Amino acid sequence: MSDEATLESLRLADSALPVGTDSVSYALEQFVATDRVADAEDLRALVETVLRRQHGRADLVALRAAHVAAADGDLDAVEVADRRLTAVTLPAEFRESAERTGERLLTLQRDLRDDDLLEAYGSTVDAGDAPGNYAVALGVVTALAEVPVREACLLACHEFATAQLGAAQRLLRLGHTDVQRVLDDLRPAMVDAVEESADRALDDMTPFAPLVDVCSAEHERADRRLFLS
Amino acid sequence: MAADTPESAGDGAGQPAGEPDPEPAPEPPHPSFADYAAESVPAAAVGSPGKDGRLELSFAVDGAGETNLVRDLARAPFHVSGTLGHDPLPEAETVYVQSPTGGVAQGDRHDIDVRVGADAVAHVSTQSSQKVLSMEHNYAAADVSLSVGSGGHLDYVPEPTILHADSRFVQRTDLDLSPEASAVVGDVVVPGRLARGERFAFERYLSRLRVRRDGELLVDDATHLRPADADPSAAGVMGEFAVLGTLYVLVPSDDDAPDTADLSDRLHAVATAAGDSAEHGDGDDGDDAVRAGATRLPNDAGCVVRALGHRAETVTAPLRAAWDEARTELLGVGAPDSRRP
Repeated sequence: MSDEATLESLRLADSALPVGTDSVSYALEQFVATDRVADAEDLRALVETVLRRQHGRADLVALRAAHVAAADGDLDAVEVADRRLTAVTLPAEFRESAERTGERLLTLQRDLRDDDLLEAYGSTVDAGDAPGNYAVALGVVTALAEVPVREACLLACHEFATAQLGAAQRLLRLGHTDVQRVLDDLRPAMVDAVEESADRALDDMTPFAPLVDVCSAEHERADRRLFLS
Repeated sequence: MAADTPESAGDGAGQPAGEPDPEPAPEPPHPSFADYAAESVPAAAVGSPGKDGRLELSFAVDGAGETNLVRDLARAPFHVSGTLGHDPLPEAETVYVQSPTGGVAQGDRHDIDVRVGADAVAHVSTQSSQKVLSMEHNYAAADVSLSVGSGGHLDYVPEPTILHADSRFVQRTDLDLSPEASAVVGDVVVPGRLARGERFAFERYLSRLRVRRDGELLVDDATHLRPADADPSAAGVMGEFAVLGTLYVLVPSDDDAPDTADLSDRLHAVATAAGDSAEHGDGDDGDDAVRAGATRLPNDAGCVVRALGHRAETVTAPLRAAWDEARTELLGVGAPDSRRP
């Protein structure tokens, strides 16, 4: 990876990246509210599930397809991956969160970079003709920055886990060292998710976490909420 | 190891190169079933029926606006003994499909085709649970093709599927909707004969529903379980629960389509209320505990209700309440009573 690509990937993985990942919890808030996640070990187990069964089986598959398509300059194929990911993402709040953060990533990158494909994809999303899921936007952005696809997938996992842990710190009493230990312990799940996604076709995305689906449904109707999802 | 990825089938070591496979296996329905597909099924006992079951049902409206079963073909193990007229909607038609053989066995390939014509209203269910029996070779598969014409409505709500120890089952359901069509599809899976302590002892289960409208893919939802590779009881997956139920409510896409946000809220309310009453007040820790929730489906397709519980009965209750509410929204009348023996 070139120095430019490495620096770009570090920037994209930084929790300071202003794309709104600090406003989404992907049902974690409801897991805490119903006492299903009460400590660092519960947190690790839940984030591991989402990494393995949601990201490894769907989001990273779409990210890879978008990465390949963007490297080829194929906007249609980017949109196919984008729409596919939406069709397999059942919880409404997950789709909304992925679209909101995806749209903000695209807007940010269009302000910083000058690229025809990025511009064309961003306009399509703005016009409502493609959903603009975060994983797909990240696939496009990393491909254009020449971040290799495997590194892009690892980046996506790290960024998701970090955001989940950040949300957990606002919802639970957790020490900084505990949080770093959970992030360490999640590494095998991140690597497995990246491996799992590698052999999977776009039309074979099968995310499966029904208890997450139910908690997300409950979160939609929760009275007090810090997070959009 | 990845749950859904088949282990590599070996690189042919020990096999003479260039020799054609004596019996090429047919294309598996999913890559994860490729290894099973290569296993030949021992010859069935003479006269054993139902390896290649086929069911075709077509519904159409007549001049008086009544829905009729205009075509039915049932090859063993399927059996159709007629229609019922007990639906609260007088013009609707009901078929309960029977499967007298007692279960789905290794090597079974079932093909189900249900067509609902324009403006017709049909309800298709099964007489009893679908038991997927223990297997040593190969796998069992069911292909379900559902279509609903403009202005039509289909309720496809079969009884639960029970996965016995060592079973391997793949079910593919494709639902094709015209723009003004609606449908309710139910699916309940029980991971073993729970009463005898059999739980998640099956080998592999893949059930997939794809919903298309005018050929465009709106929803693609899969339940893929391989307990030996990926623990179904993991946090956020099934947790402490055993039984999973899902009810998909597909709404028309025209201007009269219901507001899915409002429908989702109502489905959630009735499903959770039914779940709470199924708990008989013994709290969340009892055998009757059930969790249910509704959300909007992608692409404005409608809503989905998920329910998790310890027994089929407690999971069926919130789904039935949601079906009743959905039907009231879509057809103006609730769900018909069960007419099972």
